[in-house]
Amino acid sequence: MYQQWIELGKKKGISDLEVFAVRNKSLSLSVYQGKLDSHVQSDVEQITLRGIYQGKLSTIRFENHAKQNVDHLLNKLIENASALTVVEPAIIFEGSPSYPEVKEERFDFSKIAVIQKIQLLQDLEKYILANEKVTQVQNASYQEVDTQTTLTNSKGLHLVKRNTYAYAYAIGVFKQGDDIKTAYDVKLVKDFNEFNAKAMADETIRQGLLKLGGRSIPTGSYPIVFSNEQFADLLSAFTSIFSGEASYRNLTALKDKVGQQVFGENIHLIDDPLHPQSHFKIPFDDEGVACQKRAVVEKGVFKGFNHNLKTAAIFKEQPTGNGFNGGISPTNLYLEPTSTSFDDLIKPIQDGVYITDLVGLHAGVKAVSGDFSLQASGLKIINGKLDHAVKMIVVSGNFFDMMKRVKGIASDLKFQLSGIGSPSVYIEHLMIGGEA
Amino acid sequence: MLYKKDLKFLLQEGLATGADFAEIFLEDTKSSVIRITSGEVTQIDRGNTFGAGVRLIKGIDEVYGYTNQVSVEDLKTLVFNLRASFQTEPVNKVKPFKKPQPIKSIITKPMDSVPVSEKASKLQHLSRIMKSHDPRIVQAMCQLIETEQKILVVNSEGVFQDDLRAHTRVFLSAVAQENGNMQQAYEGPGRSMGVEFLDTLDFEKLAKDVATSAITLLSAEDMVPQTMPVVLHNGFGGVIFHEACGHPLEATAVAKGLSPFAGKLGEKIGSDIVTAYDDGYVDGAWGSASFDDEGKPTQKNLLIENGILKGYLIDYRNARKMNMDPTGSARRQSYKFSPTSRMNTTYIAPGKDKFEDIIKDTPYGLFAKKLGGGTVVPATGEFNFAVQEGYMIENGKLTRPVRGAMLIGHGKDVLFKIDRVADNLELGQGMCGSISGSIPVDVGQPTIRVSSMTVGGAGGRK
Repeated sequence: MYQQWIELGKKKGISDLEVFAVRNKSLSLSVYQGKLDSHVQSDVEQITLRGIYQGKLSTIRFENHAKQNVDHLLNKLIENASALTVVEPAIIFEGSPSYPEVKEERFDFSKIAVIQKIQLLQDLEKYILANEKVTQVQNASYQEVDTQTTLTNSKGLHLVKRNTYAYAYAIGVFKQGDDIKTAYDVKLVKDFNEFNAKAMADETIRQGLLKLGGRSIPTGSYPIVFSNEQFADLLSAFTSIFSGEASYRNLTALKDKVGQQVFGENIHLIDDPLHPQSHFKIPFDDEGVACQKRAVVEKGVFKGFNHNLKTAAIFKEQPTGNGFNGGISPTNLYLEPTSTSFDDLIKPIQDGVYITDLVGLHAGVKAVSGDFSLQASGLKIINGKLDHAVKMIVVSGNFFDMMKRVKGIASDLKFQLSGIGSPSVYIEHLMIGGEA
Repeated sequence: MLYKKDLKFLLQEGLATGADFAEIFLEDTKSSVIRITSGEVTQIDRGNTFGAGVRLIKGIDEVYGYTNQVSVEDLKTLVFNLRASFQTEPVNKVKPFKKPQPIKSIITKPMDSVPVSEKASKLQHLSRIMKSHDPRIVQAMCQLIETEQKILVVNSEGVFQDDLRAHTRVFLSAVAQENGNMQQAYEGPGRSMGVEFLDTLDFEKLAKDVATSAITLLSAEDMVPQTMPVVLHNGFGGVIFHEACGHPLEATAVAKGLSPFAGKLGEKIGSDIVTAYDDGYVDGAWGSASFDDEGKPTQKNLLIENGILKGYLIDYRNARKMNMDPTGSARRQSYKFSPTSRMNTTYIAPGKDKFEDIIKDTPYGLFAKKLGGGTVVPATGEFNFAVQEGYMIENGKLTRPVRGAMLIGHGKDVLFKIDRVADNLELGQGMCGSISGSIPVDVGQPTIRVSSMTVGGAGGRK
């Protein structure tokens, strides 16, 4: 079928065409008060066609494969390409010399009976509810995903990758007096047998109890320690600063800074498509370029932008295998950990804040200026130890400035589902907005 | 191709194992994004979302499935998979389909009736206005986002309703740079309209405003964190109500008792001067629809009247759980989501104050002229939202611009702290993300004052 579309495109004057097809099957379950609350199954194939018409590249995405629709959309692709006024490299890729091999057993989640998956959620809910501070479990959710990606193009490239995984979590609602807090812990697995409802519940309860009894703290400047998860989330809100597209479009403060000291000397940021601790191993990007391990920042020196085919050609560099979803993003970008334990990391802090929750990352972060201002909660650090819970504070700063003032990095590297990983990070100081 | 008889057959099969309600949602949506960067047309993408969602309900239990394989055979397989969750004798029959009601919104210029090049050149013009406004503007970007969503909802209760929803939105963004300081400002007005939207607003003025705003931010000081009165300007300022009160009034939060407003109908939840609505249909408004995603006509829902809680937003399934009537509020991003209660156009009704008087009567505070996005955790009621453009109020006058302010608070407190409401109601557009996906919504309010809020920021002593 894909070859037919390529042929049809050729007839219409589309010199090169690429078919990027993603077939996604999923099952989602959620349990509430011991009963199945939602049960969703799906099977959807989404196609992205990238075509070059008279030297210009345009993209169409569709879900209706009927011949008539494809014919109509190819005409639209031609109209759209013709309306582009910019002169930029338009490339359909012939392929990388070799591709990294992803060594992972593929587990067939569909062979596990639905009843067993529901049981997992019922157990998870039950174990969390067993804690006396838990008033209810808002939602116990399970999802399994089986994604097959096929890339076929007129340059003769044909690549296939498949990704299967499942994840589960439950949101516990914790109450103490008037104070209500929620907590959850997402567990992603490649084999159903890796799920352990008791361990997941214990972690959720641990997190929830830590948050209870929190109070605000006086406004001021404090030493700050971000948990590994929260620093990874903060980092993920700023990955666009490393994008070659952002550089080309004047949208990153790192433009013209390649080879310069941009962060503290203790900062090493690495993009590794196959990192053993990462959740997703990625052999090639959405343009068929092999992914590669690359230092983005080494000893605080910016080593170069992430590129897709277009920006690599513009900057006369090699593509880095970071062309995803029509744009540029890292594969598994992480801040390199040290050998410092978490306890040692916070030991020198007399009066600081350990941040375990950041809310509103989509609104409170400005990647262009580097400014961030985020609702946060966590724990007070007093005399080198974790103390009482802190809530309803705002932590504010500037990312570029902050990355020059990292006082310590721990050993506890953890990857988020976003693909971004980080250990816990100690920042010299940041502003906290709290009580008057 | 699916015929009425096929749909009826599929619904009947859906009921065969004891489900008491069956629904099929068909969707064919086309979308287009035109992007202008540095005055050039740099990207034009076209999209098409196409598929079917099937839902079976028994009591309050629900199963949902979706696919883009939409032949009768494929859908039958899906229905059989879903109905395997129920294993009793049939309890209901499919009622005869009712005649569909007419669609209220009229599209005068459908997206494909205007050549792409014509739309693109209009945007190029706006981009040039921003770029040439000041030499410190280093980037000016425009986007035209268009969608036309064609849907059909049928269910075993006899609903057979189609709808055609056009959404057109223009994003304008300017980046200003001076001495290594980079600041970005943006506006994103949108309407439930076709391309005719481009003829309705003064976009040239808007482009100048965005550029001016980016330049203003260059000289803005970092907000000094403190607790203070906050004047929230009209339009997108309504995001405070959307986050802090709108979400907790959705049945998804109320039915599970997760909302601070659950079980509080008829009780005082805000100050006397607060009245608020969620209106399913405001002519041309971004968040409007003639029908909800369960095929029910949308309606205007009174939420709060003079501080008293009057109503929730309720979908079909939660109506059963709550033993209340649905409010025409069931929405979903696409066939890939089961519908649930969501907002459309949510706003605080106008009061009697004048904007100028509110500023004049505030000795010290923050004027949040433009807000960015925000978040709320319904279970805790804690919310936050970012101030995109803010000014200090000192001795009843607007003084220095400030940047990076973040407002936080509790939904149940903030309504009581509203002490002034102006008469200048306006709406602002946004995309709202929740369990049934990302949907267009209007937020809105007149200018209001909140007597005290926690404001965060990076300013002050280091």
